Amino acid sequence: IGRAGAMAAAGMVAAAGGGDFSDLREIKKQLLSVAERSRERGLQHSGKWAAELAFALEPLPLSELPPPPVLTEEDARDLDAYTLAKSYFDLKEYDRAAYFLQGCKSQKAYFLYMYSRYLSGEKKKDDETVDSLGPLEKGQVKNEALRELRVELSKKHKAQELDGFGLYLYGVVLRKLDLVKEAIDVFVEAAHVLPLHWGAWLELCNLITDKEMLKFLSLPDTWMKEFFLAHIYTELQLIEEALQKYQSLIDAGFSKSTYIISQIAVAYHNIRDIDKALSIFNELRKQDPYRIENMDTFSNLLYVRSMKPELSYLAHNLCEIDKYRVETCCVIGNYYSLRSQHEKAALYFQRALKLNPRYLGAWTLMGHEYMEMKNTSAAIQAYRHAIEVNKRDYRAWYGLGQTYEILKMPFYCLYYYRRAHQLRPNDSRMLVALGECYEKLNQLVEAKKCYWRAYAVGDVEKMALVKLAKLHEQLNESEQAAQCYIKYIQDIYSCGEVVEHLEVSTAFRYLAQYYFKCKLWDEASACAQKCCAFNDTREEGKALLRQILQLRNQGETSSTDVAAPFFLPASLSANNTPTRRVSPLNLSSVTP
Amino acid sequence: MASVHESLYFNPMLSNGVVHANVFGVRDWVTPHKMALLVLLSELGRAGAQLGLLERRRLNRLLLPLLQGPDMALSRLRKAIEECCPHLAGSVHIRLKLMAEGELKDMEQFFDDLSDSFSGTEPEVHKTSVVGLFLRHMILAYNKLSFSQVYKLYTALQQYFQKDEKKDGADENEMELTNPEELDGKMEKEELDGPLREEEIACSGPLSQKQAEYFLSQQASLLKNDETKALAPASLQKELNNLLKFNPDFAEAHYLSYLNSLRVQDVFSSTHSLLHYFDRLILTGAESKSNGDEGYGRSLRYAALNLAALHCRFGHYQQAELALQEAIRIAQESNDHVCLQHCLSWLYILEQKIFDSCVLLEHSVNKSLHFGLPYLASLGIQSLVQQRAFAGKAANKLMDALKDSDLLHWKHSLSELIDISIAQKTAIWRLYGRSTMALQQAQTLLSMNSLEAVNVGVQQNNTESFAVVLCHLAELHAEQGYFAAASEILKHLKERFPPNSQHAQLWMLFDQKIQFERAMNDGRYHVADSLVAGITALNSIEGVYRKAIVLKAQNQMSEAHKLLQKLLIHCQKIKNTEMVIRVLLSIAELYWRSSCHTIALPVLLQALALAQEYSLQYLASETVLNLAFSQLILGIPEQALNILHMAIEPVLAHGAVLDKGCAMFLVAKCQVASAASYTPQKKIEALESAILNLNEAKSYFAKVDCKEQLRDVLYFQARLFHTLGRTQERNKCAMLFRQLHQELPAHGVPLINAFK
Repeated sequence: IGRAGAMAAAGMVAAAGGGDFSDLREIKKQLLSVAERSRERGLQHSGKWAAELAFALEPLPLSELPPPPVLTEEDARDLDAYTLAKSYFDLKEYDRAAYFLQGCKSQKAYFLYMYSRYLSGEKKKDDETVDSLGPLEKGQVKNEALRELRVELSKKHKAQELDGFGLYLYGVVLRKLDLVKEAIDVFVEAAHVLPLHWGAWLELCNLITDKEMLKFLSLPDTWMKEFFLAHIYTELQLIEEALQKYQSLIDAGFSKSTYIISQIAVAYHNIRDIDKALSIFNELRKQDPYRIENMDTFSNLLYVRSMKPELSYLAHNLCEIDKYRVETCCVIGNYYSLRSQHEKAALYFQRALKLNPRYLGAWTLMGHEYMEMKNTSAAIQAYRHAIEVNKRDYRAWYGLGQTYEILKMPFYCLYYYRRAHQLRPNDSRMLVALGECYEKLNQLVEAKKCYWRAYAVGDVEKMALVKLAKLHEQLNESEQAAQCYIKYIQDIYSCGEVVEHLEVSTAFRYLAQYYFKCKLWDEASACAQKCCAFNDTREEGKALLRQILQLRNQGETSSTDVAAPFFLPASLSANNTPTRRVSPLNLSSVTP
Repeated sequence: MASVHESLYFNPMLSNGVVHANVFGVRDWVTPHKMALLVLLSELGRAGAQLGLLERRRLNRLLLPLLQGPDMALSRLRKAIEECCPHLAGSVHIRLKLMAEGELKDMEQFFDDLSDSFSGTEPEVHKTSVVGLFLRHMILAYNKLSFSQVYKLYTALQQYFQKDEKKDGADENEMELTNPEELDGKMEKEELDGPLREEEIACSGPLSQKQAEYFLSQQASLLKNDETKALAPASLQKELNNLLKFNPDFAEAHYLSYLNSLRVQDVFSSTHSLLHYFDRLILTGAESKSNGDEGYGRSLRYAALNLAALHCRFGHYQQAELALQEAIRIAQESNDHVCLQHCLSWLYILEQKIFDSCVLLEHSVNKSLHFGLPYLASLGIQSLVQQRAFAGKAANKLMDALKDSDLLHWKHSLSELIDISIAQKTAIWRLYGRSTMALQQAQTLLSMNSLEAVNVGVQQNNTESFAVVLCHLAELHAEQGYFAAASEILKHLKERFPPNSQHAQLWMLFDQKIQFERAMNDGRYHVADSLVAGITALNSIEGVYRKAIVLKAQNQMSEAHKLLQKLLIHCQKIKNTEMVIRVLLSIAELYWRSSCHTIALPVLLQALALAQEYSLQYLASETVLNLAFSQLILGIPEQALNILHMAIEPVLAHGAVLDKGCAMFLVAKCQVASAASYTPQKKIEALESAILNLNEAKSYFAKVDCKEQLRDVLYFQARLFHTLGRTQERNKCAMLFRQLHQELPAHGVPLINAFK
């Protein structure tokens, strides 16, 4: 059996052309068949993914159901061994399965043979780590089977005898051996041969680290590519593009897919659109109440919004479903953290790590917990671990920065904040943190740049402008300070939030005094009146009003026409929306 | 003068070049290599009396490094034993073979038997001896292993043994391979294994704890003392990455990687490694109970301090200051006086870049003595001496201070500081213009046996002091006209301090300065001009000065004057007195070249006053020479002769050959000029002695190959002979003059008016 056979097998389920979702029935057929084939090979996750997606589409009538896969002569010969081995495989007795599959020639049996050898190696590796011969061996426990598998698979690969699944396995082996470049090539090939296999796409997602790499890949032009692109955009933090892709997928008819809904929710979470993300997650839980995946993200959102009852409900619910899942532990950790029981929270994050040492988020979260407990050294440890697992974890860098800031080392933490900023150039929180550090170091020029930039990229906490204004105030640049306060007030009002905002009163007080100095009585009195609405500035406001009245009476009579209050956003008074432009500020002028 | 102190950065881990921190608590593990050693020991016990005395001694000497050293391959071990005693090597091999090819129970039996060596009334091995401790450690470690671990150890032993066998077999196999098909098959396999093998080499053998520590300490001390002997930056980094891959908790590796990145001037990765190291250190500091919270805070302070050092090293002085402030603040908060002292020294180094700060330094020295930090104290004293020397304080006091600090060094055997002290003395003597003393000090350092050399086995250290001393030596030789010797020294410097190393800039500067001088002497001004750019890159002030000199030599007087005035103002501002005097001299020369001797006089007097105030003797005598020349031209040769007597002695004793020649030439001129008023008899005597002096000048000029000066001397001599009526000598001189004159382009300056 050669490439021809593989192609024939693939041809049966060859996917429709690029982004063409016109024939949903065909797509459904393909999904069902690939789910079946994945299951036959023990690829549970890919099977699950395909099945989930298929479930989102309209059911097919009996006549259109895909026929059971045709058995070849070879399949028939290996059938007994395969059936026996598959049952062993399902019981996680991988060595046993591999033993009975030796010498099998059919694609399916051969794949299962190799796959069970691989899994057996992985399982042994995990077991070995527990009792190794000393610390020097701790890092070097490796899957012994990988090398042999690689040699055998590469021989087959050269002879072009691998089908899509085989290529996928070959790629996984290469990746485990840290041969990233080769692995990418093989995964791309796998995607060409068998585009329907989600596993290969997913592996590609993990290996591609930036947009440039993505550009240079030649991917098969199928509808699966759309799913892949959406997924990788989310991974690469290109949220806008990802959301667009997902929207078009929903429009194409996958509106019921829980996978897509969860991905959209995660995307919204990544751009910190908390309300949208929350509502989508709630919807998701209604559709799929026993779902555990992605619930850690959901709990993060609930945590940020301090929604205690909801989080508590979620934690209990998940605990009932399965308490030994990483996500469950994470949710419970978040729950305890919200209740300020940080020791317990840390305990649960630790448990999550025990369940899956490769679970990134838990290290960072644990770091946060230690920070709360004021155990800075443990926090540093946790963050460092997180960075070790994933260098691009900006939260860990940010956390390290915060830790050192707490230790009153503003210069020292600059480095960490810079790293975080590098990873998330458009995140205002890092910029504000950087600005604060510079302010503490009395480097006001840099601090100003940071705050302005933070405002320009869209400030989340709305504090950048106030800080900037205060800096200007400090530097006696009253003009700019006033401008900043005005912008700040406009921002607050345009949000429509009537929430008590601490600094609004300060802003009005400053503005009142500023206009007073500039002898712009109308504006000054308007601001002073506003001041009277706040407790802390009431007296000052009243005093100022009296002064203005006095001076006015001395001077000329005021103009009577009352213009729209200048501090209301222009969009409310007129129809031109203010455009925020990011001015090209040179933030990297400082040496690293 | 080169500053000696900048490179001395504090390093918490290294003192005297040894990595001290062993925070991880070594636990011994049984490895196949150690089992081979155990077999060797037991065989040694068994062989007992059969061994000859010589063999026994060789083996005993071999044992200690084996026990303490890193693991090695069986073949290497066997070779090492074979060299001592071939018979024993054979029996060790056989026993290992039996064990490896036998069963698990053989190994178990072996360990059971091991403990027997302690028992009995007269045990073979003493329990507390080195060997006894090793044996007991191993037995204990073995007994702690779980079943699966024991099995793993056994398979590891088998692999260890088989690897060796295979190596032996491989050689034979290759000879037999004739079948082309088989060759093909093999090729294919090789091809497949290609990239993998590379991987394997990259992570060849994870190091054991001890091996890693040994490796780190060795490399660290090499980096400090003799960089050329350490691994190349790239390969060292590779090793470190490998080490960290297998043992990410090994924080010291990060520190070494920081040092390594410093070597290649990589700001980013060095910062990264440094911070990573301290993040890790903070953990271990917190874990160890003995230090408690104190240890944790301590590393924080030193983290900030080291960051300051890093920025200083890269010339980010502002950043360094911020980091230092932070370190000082934290140290103050926690009352850590020792750390504060370190900060203070650093503060001095940083402030030095901006302004003089003797007060800080004095304070630092006092406090350091108080807290018993001899290293910092004498470092402070040395800096202080350096600064005082520049400030023109009394030389005897400075030398006294250096002597006192030397006492301190020898008492605490701070060999590094001894080196620095000697280097500094060399530099100070040169500053004062006493080249013989400088030469003597330089030779002292070079021929001294360093204290550390005994331990490391390195002949001499490659520290900055050596670079400084060698550079001075090269320049001194060049001054005396021994250019071959000078270039030999420079060649040696190039080898010892390769161009990318930290102290390479020193010799680069000196090399170019020497070349510049030579080019100027030969009158190849375009060559000198091309060297100016290089000098400017290394030392901007020196560069500007040299540029002015070239301009002057090329007769571009007004440009030279402009440049020199600018330089003068700058040097006065930064209080670089040595350069101020040199610039003043050049300006004076410009004046008398333009025949404005009356204007030159006050400038020269100013220079003289300065030189005497700062006891820069050599510059003073040079000024006197200039002064005398001006007086000669102004028509008071008697006066000129008078003051020449003052200067001629130091010039002849310490001066460069060129200066000696000029001085003698000047003396002769003055003699001739003043002879005009003498009686005929006296006049002839004076002229005779002038001719002798001219001969001396000629020999000096010939030494440094200064043809122009030589020509002038010849011309002058010919005239004198002519006056005395000695035709034959006159003709000879005239002929020589003509030869030279044809070689050289003539230029407008009248001969008698040129002093230099």
